[in-house]
Amino acid sequence: MASSADLPAICTAFGDLLHQAGVPVTPERSARFTTSVVLAEPTSLHELYWLGRVTLTTAHDQYETYDRVFRQVFRGLVDIADIRGDAAESDEGGSPAPALPGEAPAPDTGDGGGGPEGRQGSGATPGAIDSDADADHASALAAVSARERVNDKEFSTLTDEELRLIQRLVEQLPFVPPLRRGRRTRRHRKAGDIDIRATLRRAHRSAGDPVQMVHRKRTTNPRRIILIADVSGSMEPYARIYLHLLRGAVRAIKAEAFVFATHLTRLTRQLSTNHTDVAYRQAAAAANDWSGGTRIGVALRSFVEDFGRRGMARGAVIVIVSDGWESDRPELLAETMERLSRLAHHIIWVNPRKAAESFEPLTGGMAAALPYVDTFLSGHSLRALQDVMDAISEAGDRVERSTRARARLAS
Amino acid sequence: MSLAELVPSPEALADRLESCGYLADEGLATALFCAVRLPQPLLLEGEAGVGKTQAAKSLAQMLDTPLIRLQCFEGIDASEALYEWNYPRQLLSIRMAETQGASLDEASLFERDYLIERPLLQAIEHDGPNPAVLLIDEVDRADEEFEAFLFEMLAESAVTVPEIGTIEARQPPIVILTSNRTRDLHDALKRRCLYHWIDYPDLEQATAIVRARVPQASIELTQQVAGAVERLRGLDVQKPPGVAEAIDWVHAASLLGVVELDEDGVERTLSSVLKYREDQDLARAEGLSWVASG
Repeated sequence: MASSADLPAICTAFGDLLHQAGVPVTPERSARFTTSVVLAEPTSLHELYWLGRVTLTTAHDQYETYDRVFRQVFRGLVDIADIRGDAAESDEGGSPAPALPGEAPAPDTGDGGGGPEGRQGSGATPGAIDSDADADHASALAAVSARERVNDKEFSTLTDEELRLIQRLVEQLPFVPPLRRGRRTRRHRKAGDIDIRATLRRAHRSAGDPVQMVHRKRTTNPRRIILIADVSGSMEPYARIYLHLLRGAVRAIKAEAFVFATHLTRLTRQLSTNHTDVAYRQAAAAANDWSGGTRIGVALRSFVEDFGRRGMARGAVIVIVSDGWESDRPELLAETMERLSRLAHHIIWVNPRKAAESFEPLTGGMAAALPYVDTFLSGHSLRALQDVMDAISEAGDRVERSTRARARLAS
Repeated sequence: MSLAELVPSPEALADRLESCGYLADEGLATALFCAVRLPQPLLLEGEAGVGKTQAAKSLAQMLDTPLIRLQCFEGIDASEALYEWNYPRQLLSIRMAETQGASLDEASLFERDYLIERPLLQAIEHDGPNPAVLLIDEVDRADEEFEAFLFEMLAESAVTVPEIGTIEARQPPIVILTSNRTRDLHDALKRRCLYHWIDYPDLEQATAIVRARVPQASIELTQQVAGAVERLRGLDVQKPPGVAEAIDWVHAASLLGVVELDEDGVERTLSSVLKYREDQDLARAEGLSWVASG
């Protein structure tokens, strides 16, 4: 195999195929693959498989695609026609990313819950905000008055034009992350511990006697913010706005963003790109359960287990946007919220239905979750969103856990 | 023996690792082979307790080179990872020179004697027949800035100390990074690394691994524990037990004189494998005899 003069070409071609299937393979990686093949001189497909997987992939979730492409190229010639058909379709789409969730069946655990009828992402993704072209032409005055007009409008009753305006405004909302005490120290003029090293160094100047004390004080760092938004059918009118809030937070303060309906999807990476349209298209493709049923408990549990417990949620401020309509067991949600509340620093629950006068947090899920919520807000209009912003930036101070929420539930 | 002689192929590497008491499957052996021979840093990911750190330790043992370990944490910086000047010692030298009336110029204060070597510099300075194994543990815990600093060092295999000059590695160390995926690592770092995800081993392999690590325990006990750990992992536990827990469990059981895993034996040793109260409750609800024998 190593004697083949075309080895680099073959390896690169394989890398290209993989790239088309959505695994980001750089020429550098293909070169590495080639070198490894020369070094190890694999004699079986098995060995070749492992060499490629080690050198070409960069994440655990790429293994599925890698396996598929490998099978396609090196095994069962019969399959090739079928799979090529799929690949050609996805090529027409232009961007390779959306091809994946479509091809691979959704990892739906399949017990009840929402059906996959909401698969067509375009329904729920906002028709993409029209960049900033509109704003540039409108005079400043018009913009201000337009903002006044939509300030108190309920999110579920917007015209298309208002929706676009609000989406743009929401994305630019000023995020001020709360602070936590950092591990590092910084030199300070008078307060804090004495920095022995710097004091001694300065003592060189005064013949070895420490005349001038140097102090260091702990720095403060922004706390991690995690936003988890419900994009199930019942939340659809709000989801198209909250997705923009997610993007604003991801870009402004490096928040982590997740959405869920029947299962949880991490969107941080997709939403952080500079290009607005691409961001939302990728987000829609990544989360393939838009407008599906709701399984909050299952989604939050997978958040706690796959991300939260590993460290992401520790000491973080978590914002959950959901109406609390749980189609699964509420006990699971309660149990998960309890675990989450032990990990997180502060939990903010935003429920747009709270604004309705007749609202009482009695839906199974909401009642189960509320005891573990520190701040409970409505966030149903632009003005109400400002409260959410304030709650986030004030969440740095430790408050007596959920006393307020409990009192509210009792009354 | 040179590296090429020591590890001519992934299978040879797996065999040698086995004689050091570490059983690597084909994928991991290939990954380690590439890390040693290409040479290229290797990023290992996987659930806690599948043997990421042990892989590096055993590799070092196999190559008969020192394992240099850098444990990452939030706020780690260059002075903790690379080098630091020994200030108290410098100061003492100045005082000594003063009392003895000797002259001491500044350059002699910044010599190697006053340099405290931290893990990265140690790994680069290592001079043996084979390169050192540098284990950068839990790199996801370090700050992003530190990551940037790290991959500069990985790419160059050289360290610059302004007062001394650039120290280049005679043999670039074999670098193994581990991550628990608390955050996404930077693409630039991933780009420079090979990647391998270590899965939980299957029942047969888990038994073999535990036997290799705790040879004094009976075969029956080892098999039962491996089976029980796999059953517990199937439960909806918060912290699924890995191979490390299985090894702890067999250790604990054989220490207590448990020869065969029964209900009573599980009761006495359960806390060595399940570390959350909720998890233990869950196992108890399922029945201890179920845990013991399925």
